[in-house]
Order: sequence, then C-alpha cells, then structure tokens
Amino acid sequence: MATTFEVKNLDFYYGDFQALEDINVEIEGSTITAFIGPSGCGKSTFLRCLNRMNDLIPETRVEGLITLDGRDIYTNETDLVDLRRRVGMIFQQPNPFPMSIYDNVAYGPRLHGSPSKSELDGIVETTLKQAALWKEVKDKLNSLALSLSGGQQQRLCIARVLAVNPEVVLMDEPASAIDPTSTQKIEDLMAELKERFSIIIVTHNMQQAARVSDHTAFFMADDTGKANLIEFGNTDQIFTNPKDERTESYITGRFG
Amino acid sequence: MTRKTFHEELSELEAITSQMGELVLHSINGSIEAITACNMEAADETIERDSTIDALYHEIEEHSLAIVARQAPVASDLRLCFSVIFIAIHLERMADLAVNVAKGAKRACPMEGVAPLIKLVADMGRQTADLVEASMKAFSNRDIELAHKLPDMDEPIDRMFKAYFKELAKHPDEESLEWISTIILAGRYLERIADHAVDIGERVSYLVTGYSSDAVEE
Repeated sequence: MATTFEVKNLDFYYGDFQALEDINVEIEGSTITAFIGPSGCGKSTFLRCLNRMNDLIPETRVEGLITLDGRDIYTNETDLVDLRRRVGMIFQQPNPFPMSIYDNVAYGPRLHGSPSKSELDGIVETTLKQAALWKEVKDKLNSLALSLSGGQQQRLCIARVLAVNPEVVLMDEPASAIDPTSTQKIEDLMAELKERFSIIIVTHNMQQAARVSDHTAFFMADDTGKANLIEFGNTDQIFTNPKDERTESYITGRFG
Repeated sequence: MTRKTFHEELSELEAITSQMGELVLHSINGSIEAITACNMEAADETIERDSTIDALYHEIEEHSLAIVARQAPVASDLRLCFSVIFIAIHLERMADLAVNVAKGAKRACPMEGVAPLIKLVADMGRQTADLVEASMKAFSNRDIELAHKLPDMDEPIDRMFKAYFKELAKHPDEESLEWISTIILAGRYLERIADHAVDIGERVSYLVTGYSSDAVEE
C-alpha cells in the first residue's frame, strides 16, 4: 500500500500563537511512525493536523501543505467525514459510544453505507478478531461497551476504526491509560495491522516508540513555544545513534 | 524527566572500567619488570592481582546488564553499556597475558646471557604499556583522535616482535631452551596485549561516533 502523507512547510497557529513551524516530513505506507518529544512540543497538535481534528478548535489556522495520496486535505472540497474514515484516530482515553459492543463496531459501516445484517455480522466478527478482542466478547456482543475493562475498550475502539477500512490510523497515547497486558496486546496488534495501513503514534513512552515503530520523529519547542521537527529517521538509528544533539539529550533523559 | 540516578550509575560504570584499566596497566608493568629484571615480587603481585581484575570484569558485566534491563538506555548511553563490556573483556585478556609473562619469568629466571633479548622485551614492554595507557586515556576522555593513533603506535611493537627471531638466530645452541622459549612467548604475549589495546581504541571510536572505525574508513 502506497498511501503516504506528505507534509511541506507546515505552520500551525492557535490564534496569534504559532504552535508548529515549518514541518516537513513524509510518512510511508505500511509503516509505524512514532512522534516523540517533551510535553508541549507540538506532536499531538501535528497529529491532529493530519485528519483535521484541529478544525474543531476555534481560531486555529494551518499554512503549508498536507497531502494524502498526493491530494491536498486542506481544500474546501475535502469531505471531512470521508477524510476521518480514511484517517482514523485512537485517543488516550478509550471512548466507546454508550451503546452495545456490536453497535460500536457497526456504527461506522452503517454511517458510510447500508450493509445488510449478515454483512454487518461479518464485519463485526472480522474486525473484533483483528483487534484481538473477539474471544473475550463473542458471547456478549449486546452488552454495553462501557462494561468492558479499559484495555478491552481501547481494543474495541481499534475495532471500530478497522471496521471502516482506514488507510492511516493516528494514535494519540493509545496505551498510556491502560494496563501492561493490554498495552502488549495493542503493540502486537499494531505490528500486525501495519501491513494494512500506516500507523502514526504519539507516545510519551520512549521505550514504546523504540519497540513498535519503524520511523521516529522527534519534536521540540523553542523558548516561545513554537515547535519544530528536530529529527526524523529510522527508529534503530534514532535510538542508537541520533544525529541531533537535542534528540540525544532528550532520549537519554538529559532534559525534558 | 531527567534521570539523575541513572546517569550516576553510568558514571560509576565508567569509573569501574577506568579503575580496571589502571590495575591491568599495573599488571602489565609488573610482568615486564618480572621478565626483564627477574623481579619475583613483581611476578607474584601480577599473578595475585588477576583475581581482583577478574572480579572487576564480572562487576562491569553485571552492572551493564542491570542498567540495560532496568533503565533501557539508548543512544550514547546504550553504546557505553555495550562498549564497557567489550573493553572489560579486552582488559581481562590483557591481564591474563600479563600473568603468562609473569609465570614465564618465575619458571625461567635467572636468565643469563640474553641481554639483547631482554633489552628487546623491555623496549617492547614500555611501548606496549604506553599503548595500553593511551587506549584507556582515549576511553576516559572520549578522545577519538588518540583512539585513531593507536594502530600506528602498535606498528613498531609488531616490528619488534619480528626482530626477536633475528636476535634468537644469533644465539648459540647451548642457551637454555626454557628461557629462550619464555622470552619468545613473552614477546608474543606483549604483542597480543598491544593488539587488545588497539581493539579498545576501536570500541572508543564506536562509543563516540556510533560507527565502527572500519566503517569510518570506507
């Protein structure tokens, strides 16, 4: 799969405040890219630029270019519902809808088409299996999603994203609020799923970035709070031999 | 989220490695003193010191593994943890070779009538000790220029070892086989010690740059 994000000269503003400055990066298909950096370094802001989640915040402004598969996603013609289907998102706190497990997974396919009951049954089963949750929930698909544990809820959210066949999945600290076993399951899941779509993960857990990602991007803000992409490279290289001293200082825990 | 305790542990790891280097240098000098002056006290000290050096080697290995397991070091910290293990292995081998030289001295002394050979061992020993000292200095100071000079410092030592055989050929047959072979072996051990020092230099180069020195030359 060749879907790629290409970001050129991206600046981002909250009102007068410039949060991101001149970000240039290319995200390859079928890879996992980790965004790391200290709090307030702009990594989540940048992540939310990629499916225009920042549009929901008033007074925000984007300059520069973000293309997905070669097409600018910041034009007036961009269908935001479709963009967010293609570019799914998993948040720090699992946020299943207050409905049954089944309906959570079926929500997207129903929204984007009108599948038959048997088609839906198939999608629900397949995606729950892919999200490594099927065995735990197959006998209680009609139970409330909120009755699941946090780790299970997060995997349900992943199933919900999978059900609409995304091309990229953005994960904002997906494992920071859940237990180590579920974290392990989600990390394993990421490795399996990247064959089907690219994953971009924001994480404060540098070991998680080192474990799961193919590429790592290190962000850092200057004194005014303006964030730059300091270094982007293969994860092996970033964690054994970073080129930029600031990357070295951050990942070795000498600042941040 | 700076990691103070962690960096103190790394400093300690480095300090133990330097300490091991100093002890090994003592042993090398002691073994040279033993073989060139038949100083049996120096020979015994060198032999006894080996257990302390072995203990330091194990301490460095365990300490490094513990840091890797608990702290998940990365970048230059990770390279340090691995490099000190390799450096410690080289140092430990050097100490073993010094013990071999010292034991040879104990077996073969007194060695009369081989003055030119003794002088050759003494010269070679001095240069080998200088090379070892330089390798550990390169490590402590992260001095990559010095590390890159070590192969050049090793060259005359290799040449001197070859000169042994020319010198030996001059000696009449009635020389004791025991100390002739001891002297040859001492030369061989010193030459190996020097090679280990050059290897330490390569580790230092990797530690500092993240590339092995072979890769840099390409």
